Amino acid sequence: MLSNSKYEIRNLQFAFCFLLFALSSFLSACSTKTESPSNDNSVKFQQYYVKGEQHFLKTCSNCHQKTGKGLGLLYPPLDQSDFVDKNFEQVICLMKNGINGEIIVNGKGFNKAMPAIPSLTDIEVAEIATYIYNSWGRERGIVEVQDATRILLNCDSSLVGH
Amino acid sequence: MIMKVRFTICDLRFGTVVLFAFCLLLSACIQKKELPLPIFGEREVVGTDTVYHTIADFKFVDQDSAEVTNATFNNKIYVADFFFTSCRTICPIMKTQMLRVYDSIQNDPDILLLSHSIDPEYDTVALLHDFAERLGVKSDKWHFVTGNKEDIYKTAQTSYFATALEDKSEPDGFIHSGAFLLIDKERRIRGKYDGTKEDDVNRLLADLARLKKEYVK
Repeated sequence: MLSNSKYEIRNLQFAFCFLLFALSSFLSACSTKTESPSNDNSVKFQQYYVKGEQHFLKTCSNCHQKTGKGLGLLYPPLDQSDFVDKNFEQVICLMKNGINGEIIVNGKGFNKAMPAIPSLTDIEVAEIATYIYNSWGRERGIVEVQDATRILLNCDSSLVGH
Repeated sequence: MIMKVRFTICDLRFGTVVLFAFCLLLSACIQKKELPLPIFGEREVVGTDTVYHTIADFKFVDQDSAEVTNATFNNKIYVADFFFTSCRTICPIMKTQMLRVYDSIQNDPDILLLSHSIDPEYDTVALLHDFAERLGVKSDKWHFVTGNKEDIYKTAQTSYFATALEDKSEPDGFIHSGAFLLIDKERRIRGKYDGTKEDDVNRLLADLARLKKEYVK
């Protein structure tokens, strides 16, 4: 009798552990699914996106924050930003050339110069743009390096930062 | 005879349990009594007193054109750092972290914040005013100061042991540490934290509470 109940307890413990494991693996599967940014699952897109994230963390997130939420009225947000949504070509330009003067983001004025980063290459700009335009709910798809080059050649120089 | 031996074994077991409980109690007591925070810098023993390193007198101007001196921090605990508004490397991260400190102490009359610009020629009063306003912080709680460049560098290095130098070869033109310094009501340095690391700033928040307790009598 005694040994029987011991077995039962052991079985119960086993079942509990198994359940917990199953649940956690299910949960982790869920979370990785939500991280996947766009419908585009091509290797090239993934490569651009991952590299874009690395460049973003190195050159953009100091000010705009890792979360893309910005900081007060000093650094505008990239997440939930009508400016980013509406001004694709200008955003490509200001990544490399910087920007001076006031811009309006979500109805609020931001007026601190963003410095130029002349060392950014066209491919890096394309990768960062792929990251920004496929994060925080955006699903633009890949931004090709040819597009970045074409846009960068036609930037409006009057907006350039210092 | 056998019974007697059993008894002694039982006694022994009981004894260890009591001893264990006693140890537990003792450790709980020890944990409760926190050690005071360290005091940074050199110290001198004068007679029976120990003289510690303190922040030397200073005089700067804040974002409201108000004079900020040692007297501003009379009977206050404060956190100091060095930055400049056009910096794009570590300063934005420092300001994000200092804003966390601000949020946690903004209703505490005992604690203030002091950010020194190390690019005072560019960071004018008007610019600092705009910066603080855009950050959304109150000037009587968080002073952003500018002033004579040499004075600021000297204060940084000799009072706060923080690095602040002009260096044209750096991407932004300056070398400076991202340290946050915790200063007590006696103008002594009680803690140094990396203002670019969230964990370290968590430690600062805990130490602020510890330091406050030292003044509760």
